[in-house]
Amino acid sequence: MDSHAARLLGAGLAIGLGVIGPGIGLGTMIGSALQSIARQPELTGDIRTNMFIGIGVIEALALYAFVISLILLFVVK
Amino acid sequence: MKPMRIVWLVVALGVLVGLFLIPGGAKSQVDVAKEFELHPLVKLPKIGPIDLSITKAVVYLWLTTAVIVVGALVISRILKAAPGRFQSAMEMLYGIAHDGIAGSVMRVGAATWFPYIGSVFVFILVSNAIGLLPLPLGEHHQLSFYAVTGNLNVTITLALFTFVFTHYAGIRQKGAWGYVKGWVLPSAPPVMRELIFVMHIVSEFFRLVSLSVRLFANMLAGHAILAVFFAMALVFQSYLIAGVLQAGSVVLFLFEIFIAFIQAFIFAILSAVYVSGALEEEH
Repeated sequence: MDSHAARLLGAGLAIGLGVIGPGIGLGTMIGSALQSIARQPELTGDIRTNMFIGIGVIEALALYAFVISLILLFVVK
Repeated sequence: MKPMRIVWLVVALGVLVGLFLIPGGAKSQVDVAKEFELHPLVKLPKIGPIDLSITKAVVYLWLTTAVIVVGALVISRILKAAPGRFQSAMEMLYGIAHDGIAGSVMRVGAATWFPYIGSVFVFILVSNAIGLLPLPLGEHHQLSFYAVTGNLNVTITLALFTFVFTHYAGIRQKGAWGYVKGWVLPSAPPVMRELIFVMHIVSEFFRLVSLSVRLFANMLAGHAILAVFFAMALVFQSYLIAGVLQAGSVVLFLFEIFIAFIQAFIFAILSAVYVSGALEEEH
């Protein structure tokens, strides 16, 4: 396996494995946000605001993986 | 009615098969990464390590500023008691920034820090929205998409604003020593106290990283996916695949409009959370 192939493989694995955790996290968090909205519709605004804060924080993890795979693809020679 | 439907189905299938059979143009190689390279439009001399050349990103920043300034001037001239469509939209934007972001997250200091939170929200929103318009500012002046928030230099600058303002707000509120002391719980045992202090400093810097990389990677990923969808039509050389991909890219583009708004919202709301975290007594 030459270095180019290793680079491509690493980039694919980085983003592919990297989105598993944030995917589970986002699913759990949006699911429970929807549950609490269904239980208490009068708090929809507050819950949605806090949900977006959480989405921002969790989503950053997946984007780190994305940046790593971009670095592997285009920066590492 | 029924036979007509079958006729239409056959016609549609025929068109699809026909599209699949028509050969596309010459095979061409597209390098998606080239779309995001910055070439100087106007060459200017370097001052030390700083290159002053005017690139696509600089023009986009000017454009963003111009849109915001002109929009603000226009809207402040034509304010009416009974708002029209444009004024209603602007009032909604103000409402989101004022009540949705600053008002809902900041328990203290919402009035003081709303100008910063509001301007960072509007700036990111407008620059993301301009990034969704095809503009002829590329290398060969072809129409192309480019979001200035998809450039790490810009997002790090924005994140540094939040970083500096957070600590400025905390120091102004509590004094330098009181602010630093506020990082550590008074009830923590002696050895843990130093550990918490170091961890807090590390987490402050990771806030800077996550705030800037989140916006950068989101905008870059969105534009890269759009570019890949356009490029695949050239790579596969088939009108059928090109049609399907273009339909897909329309859906993705609609999603990108949503992302453009959500990212501005998240950046502003996290800035508000950080600043109000520095202002509060216990956190």
